[in-house]
Amino acid sequence: MSAIPHDHLAGHDDAHGHHPTGLMRWITTTNHKDIGTLYLLFSLTMFFVGGCMALTIRAELFQPGLQIVHPEFFNSLTTLHGLIMIFGAIMPAAVGFANWQVPLMIGAPDMAFARMNNWSFWLLPPAAFMLILSFFVPGGAAAGGWTLYPPLSIQAGMGLDLTIFAVHIMGASSIMGSINIITTILNMRAPGMTLMKMPMFCWTWLITAYLLIAVMPVLAGSVTMLLTDRHFGTSFFNAAGGGDPVLFQHVFWFFGHPEVYIMILPSFGIISQIIPTFARKPLFGYASMVYAVASIAILSFIVWAHHMFTVGMPAAGLLFFMYATMLIAVPTGVKVFNWLATMWQGSMTFETPMLFAIGFLFLFTMGGFTGLVLALTPIDIQLQDTYYVVAHFHYVLVAGSLFAFFGGAYYWMPKWTGTMYSEKLGQWHFWLSMIFFNITFFPMHFLGVAGMPRRIPDYAQQFADWNMVASVGAFGFGFTQLLFVVVVVKCIRGDGAKAPAKPWEGADTLEWTVPSPAPYHTFETPPVVA
Amino acid sequence: MAADLSPKVADGARLRHANLRTALAVTLIAVLFFAGVIAAQFVGDSAVGMSVVAGAVLLFLVFAIGRHLRK
Repeated sequence: MSAIPHDHLAGHDDAHGHHPTGLMRWITTTNHKDIGTLYLLFSLTMFFVGGCMALTIRAELFQPGLQIVHPEFFNSLTTLHGLIMIFGAIMPAAVGFANWQVPLMIGAPDMAFARMNNWSFWLLPPAAFMLILSFFVPGGAAAGGWTLYPPLSIQAGMGLDLTIFAVHIMGASSIMGSINIITTILNMRAPGMTLMKMPMFCWTWLITAYLLIAVMPVLAGSVTMLLTDRHFGTSFFNAAGGGDPVLFQHVFWFFGHPEVYIMILPSFGIISQIIPTFARKPLFGYASMVYAVASIAILSFIVWAHHMFTVGMPAAGLLFFMYATMLIAVPTGVKVFNWLATMWQGSMTFETPMLFAIGFLFLFTMGGFTGLVLALTPIDIQLQDTYYVVAHFHYVLVAGSLFAFFGGAYYWMPKWTGTMYSEKLGQWHFWLSMIFFNITFFPMHFLGVAGMPRRIPDYAQQFADWNMVASVGAFGFGFTQLLFVVVVVKCIRGDGAKAPAKPWEGADTLEWTVPSPAPYHTFETPPVVA
Repeated sequence: MAADLSPKVADGARLRHANLRTALAVTLIAVLFFAGVIAAQFVGDSAVGMSVVAGAVLLFLVFAIGRHLRK
């Protein structure tokens, strides 16, 4: 496993010198740029599907009482919103960025296994279809939360079987994608590009891919056991047969906590590309950034039980998981410090990607701090399953992952489409997202501290005001995202200034050495990195 | 003298084999985890089972990535 000089078509398993057009191009494509585009469009679609569910939830919670949906359907909405946003929107978006950018950034002609890359993507639409289909089967969709905890998940109807099947398929897709990314990065880098010269985005994805390889099979194993408990008479988690429902929580969160980092590490990589570009300075402390990402990934394996402080653990366990969780703040702090140090005395400009990067930095750090609050066992026991937790993870995953992906999309859109995006629309998109995001999720901290439980369609009168504010913010945030669709459509249609090969003065990675839009085949002759 | 970095026909075959080796190693980790987590439940002591598997994989990662750092 070493970086070997490659020639075009030699390094991967498919000859795609010519390609079909129309629909067949997209179905049969083995080109990493096409597949990256498919991933990104799929994730944008699922983002709006999951977003519609979120808006229905917020509409129901606009005021106390039951107004719009039945409680059972509300529970299905919260469950499917989580599953769709995680497995359908955030993760495929990250893989889309990897498909487009990793080969371009390391000087490879394509991904190592091009046919498998196509397969990885085309597994996703049927899985998403199954998730949505589960709303229409007897018993309705899964309603026990995205964590699929037993005993609810053992008692649920056929919708849960569809969910398990969908999770299996999405997991297989993720594993195949990870194998491809690891192999491409380890074996197909341009001559001269050592691992410690790789762009940070590639580093974060290499580590993310290893995390996926380690934890997606654990999720697959746990839902397989759930399936056998439901249909084949086993009792892994079924207390009636001598099983242990809490065991599922342990196994699930052994996957679930690294999963949080799977969703955020690629965002760290994107931010680490954007900030140096617009600060016009090299990334401060590159090596420490690499080691910080690796440390975060390793620590993510030993903190899972902080999600389940209330199940009844020995005091030693509580203390271990509390301190281990707090330890993650150290490498995360290193990263935040390095981003700030990169900006320090830089010749900064504030185009849309940089705005999203700074927005990310500001809001993700807030999400990180509330994470530290929740890491404290005595406090977590009070705040467990309240809206404080909902606020925390939306600050991390919406203002963290999603803002970084928006920043990345604006940053690389000129390279992808050959057209400069509308800066005016981009700035509107950022500022409205920033304002409405905080209107939506900041009040949830107050609701959580006041004791409002999550996953309920009705609530006590004293929570009414902040819920109303949050719902107004949610609709504002949702409709603001239509601006992004307008930006993307305009770029795809070529409605804007033509993008030069390197539209950003401070950019210095390999993708900016090829024309915009990036040709169908790039780096047929590998570049030599000094 | 600078190393000759131009692509060679033999490099293509080497690269394919290297890719397959890497993919197999990574697939093995995934299979190990999938089977390991279920086997650990059957054995009964999930903490020991998962610790052994996780330790083995972490060691692998340290070696797999560590040997690349100087290249």
